[in-house]
Amino acid sequence: MSKAAEQTQTRNLQLLEAFAGTTGEVRVADRKMRMENVDVFYDDNQALFDVNLDLGKNEVLAMIGPSGCGKSTFLRCMNRMNDTIDSCRIEGRFELDGEDIYGPEQDVVLLRARVGMVFQKPNPFPKSIYDNVAYGPRIHGLASNKDELDHIVETSLKRASLWNEVKDRLDAAGTGLSGGQQQRLCIARTIAVSPEIILMDEPCSALDPIATASIEELIDELRQNYSIAIVTHSMQQAARVSQRTAYFHLGRLIELGETKTIFTNPSHELTENYITGRFG
Amino acid sequence: MDKLNLDQHISQRYNEELEDLRTRVLNMGGLVEQQVANGLQALLEFDADLGEIVFNGDFEVNAMEVEIDEACTEILARRQPAASDLRLVMTVIKAISDLERIGDEAEKFGKVAMRLAGSANRPAYYAELRHLGDQVKSVLRDTLDNFARMDAEGALLTAGRDEAIDREYNSLSRLLISHMMEDPREIKSVLEVFWCARALERIGDHANNICEYVVYLVKGKDIRHTSQQRRLAAQKDKQGPTDPA
Repeated sequence: MSKAAEQTQTRNLQLLEAFAGTTGEVRVADRKMRMENVDVFYDDNQALFDVNLDLGKNEVLAMIGPSGCGKSTFLRCMNRMNDTIDSCRIEGRFELDGEDIYGPEQDVVLLRARVGMVFQKPNPFPKSIYDNVAYGPRIHGLASNKDELDHIVETSLKRASLWNEVKDRLDAAGTGLSGGQQQRLCIARTIAVSPEIILMDEPCSALDPIATASIEELIDELRQNYSIAIVTHSMQQAARVSQRTAYFHLGRLIELGETKTIFTNPSHELTENYITGRFG
Repeated sequence: MDKLNLDQHISQRYNEELEDLRTRVLNMGGLVEQQVANGLQALLEFDADLGEIVFNGDFEVNAMEVEIDEACTEILARRQPAASDLRLVMTVIKAISDLERIGDEAEKFGKVAMRLAGSANRPAYYAELRHLGDQVKSVLRDTLDNFARMDAEGALLTAGRDEAIDREYNSLSRLLISHMMEDPREIKSVLEVFWCARALERIGDHANNICEYVVYLVKGKDIRHTSQQRRLAAQKDKQGPTDPA
């Protein structure tokens, strides 16, 4: 390791030791979801340290940070995806419209309909395009007859900007679509159950630039109706699609601010070092 | 976050590119400074040969601007710089445009020197240019020093000196105008002095712009079109509570 690299690494460790709370305003006035004093442990290892963060209505919040910084862990806590991991213990409070999502009365299936998730790798069911989208509305009983279901499928595919490409072959297998189309199908599937929040975990990392551009365009349109939290390793993507950006580092939420400010003049040195590609 | 740490990127090549960019701007600044000094000397000493050297030297300044511009475009396209790196590239793009225009003003001195060297009639108040010239040279030198050291506080102080240059220019203009009114036959030759004084005042303005870019580069604050009093007050406020970073 070069001398400059060693210096920055030492400096980063000092900064982390001196860390005394997130830089920037973590709360928003028009909030959809509020996260308070969140600590997450995998067995004895602590993955998140006292994270406080709001997700606003009709906003795209980007979460960035080096691998292992806890951003995906945090995202998965937002719709209780981590419930399936036995070793995972979550402390703190997650409120959706003021309601504790980890409360005893919370129906997790219903929660995941309200807070949908799109994953890194497109994962359509091995079913037809139509059935992929109709699956959620069917199990949640959102349509009382075939016409209503048809309507939901069509609207969802239109909102996901996929309708024109697949309207003549709704019976074809979802898995037969291209990568970008599959990801939009997954987004349509998420939208079909009328969620309020969409969580996206690196939704474009398996896609080419053109498919990525159309997903990003879609994210911008979806913002009119939903709140979106997106985890991404592409800083350019965070800069393009989000209104606010959160920077995580080794389990701490280091800085949160307007995306414009984070990418031109961040306040915290750790954020600066990460987004400019200095040793971190 | 006053230190830009240009040498600490993961990509060694990127470090070199940014450092190279900075060095090239400093070289261009050095050349422009030399052009202004030589131009003024040629002007004040009626030295046609030196005037010609300055006149021809502007091509080199222009070529440097084009080269640095290209390097900036390449960095933007290949690296998509962010935060302080982005501010550095933006600062360089703007600063070289001001440097190039300072070069153009120096070129004017060369031209006037060549023209006047052959004429027996020396315009009135010609020597007054020396004082204004010294002021401008000193401001330009400090501006380039501030850029080299990435010194925002220094840049703010240097920017404040533009007012003194403006005052000096205004009083010289008044003198020249009175003289032209008194003796209309000298209007043509006095106008030569007037244009040179105007060029010096413009150099001061360009230096002022570069100082503003240095503050933007280091602090991330855009102070263009704000008064000097406000700038200094903001600077004082900033020194109060410590930066969380």
